[in-house]
Amino acid sequence: MELNAINGASTYIIQSQDEEIKRIALELHEGISQNLFSVFTGLEVLQNNMTNPDMASYAQELKDIMSRTIQEVRLLSVELYPTTLTTLGLTAALSSYIKLYTSTFGIIVEIISNGKEKTISEGKSMALFRSCQEALINIAKYADTANAKIVFTWNQDSLTIEIEDIGKGFNIEAVTAGNSCKGIAAMKERMFIAGGNFQLFSTIGKGTKVIFTLPISC
Amino acid sequence: MLLRKVCLVMECNVQLEEALLATCKELQVKVSSDFTGIALQQSNSTDIKWPFVAGNCNEKYKFITVRYGKGIAGKVIATGSPMTIEHFPDNIIGKSIEYPIMLAENLISAYARPIMLNGRPKGAVLIGFRKKYTIQQNADEVIKTLIEKIEDLIKRIYNSN
Repeated sequence: MELNAINGASTYIIQSQDEEIKRIALELHEGISQNLFSVFTGLEVLQNNMTNPDMASYAQELKDIMSRTIQEVRLLSVELYPTTLTTLGLTAALSSYIKLYTSTFGIIVEIISNGKEKTISEGKSMALFRSCQEALINIAKYADTANAKIVFTWNQDSLTIEIEDIGKGFNIEAVTAGNSCKGIAAMKERMFIAGGNFQLFSTIGKGTKVIFTLPISC
Repeated sequence: MLLRKVCLVMECNVQLEEALLATCKELQVKVSSDFTGIALQQSNSTDIKWPFVAGNCNEKYKFITVRYGKGIAGKVIATGSPMTIEHFPDNIIGKSIEYPIMLAENLISAYARPIMLNGRPKGAVLIGFRKKYTIQQNADEVIKTLIEKIEDLIKRIYNSN
């Protein structure tokens, strides 16, 4: 009974955190970004009507800062909540994230997709997206490898995602016993909430593999 | 005639780029670092790349692009001030994933200084170590001289374009 209450509480915390992140991301994208763009175009109008070259040059500097800020806000919004997840689906959202991942960490990720992609609920998509993100970040932080592979297998009633690297690997028992692997616990919890399954395999010197399996209804 | 001019400019740039790489290696040898890299802001955007490195243990640096203000190079360029990391990832500003070059090259200690172009920071030089290390004070003069040489080479590349 007590365990159920704890699980319920952590489910509630994760879900409300996700909802809050989504709200902030949308506010940044649809509110603040639009206002900043209005200021940017206004500056452009003012600059075009300036006769003093020093003032025009100052306006250009302000425009550059504004352009950089718009770009930063846009990227921050996408990092917080990938809108492509609901518009284009999980594979597209993860492919887009992987492009950003490679240009951030220099790790090349091969993407393989088997079967036909099916529509899955936003909650389940988000659980998978966040879990994949966590697994890929762990590769960048600990695996010491330049390559990774992600395989999507779309079955009739389930989806399996395997993320594999041939990095340095680790001793799962030793790491999980230390209570320092919050990322692994978060992936496990997210998959549990979504009604899925999480498996982790690792061999020192050979690499690590995580498998997410999630039932999907047609 | 125009083609010949373009070829001459390209040839000149190749020589300057080779000189930059040689200076990067010289800096690595003179301060006995494990890794030395030159990060430069792209001419058409504010993004930063690592075009010249020495002592790298993989090719990840070729794909890394950091945003203005992010990562060790981005922070040095945005502030125009040097930055030191004593024992990565302890006591860093932000998360370890915000320092991709440190993760990619397994660096523990690092020292970065801005590269100035026309009075503005346009790049950064990173001197990194794969163990905890403090740069000796007498190395400061060597670093300063070689960064001036790097700044001069970069200025010539910009002017030739």
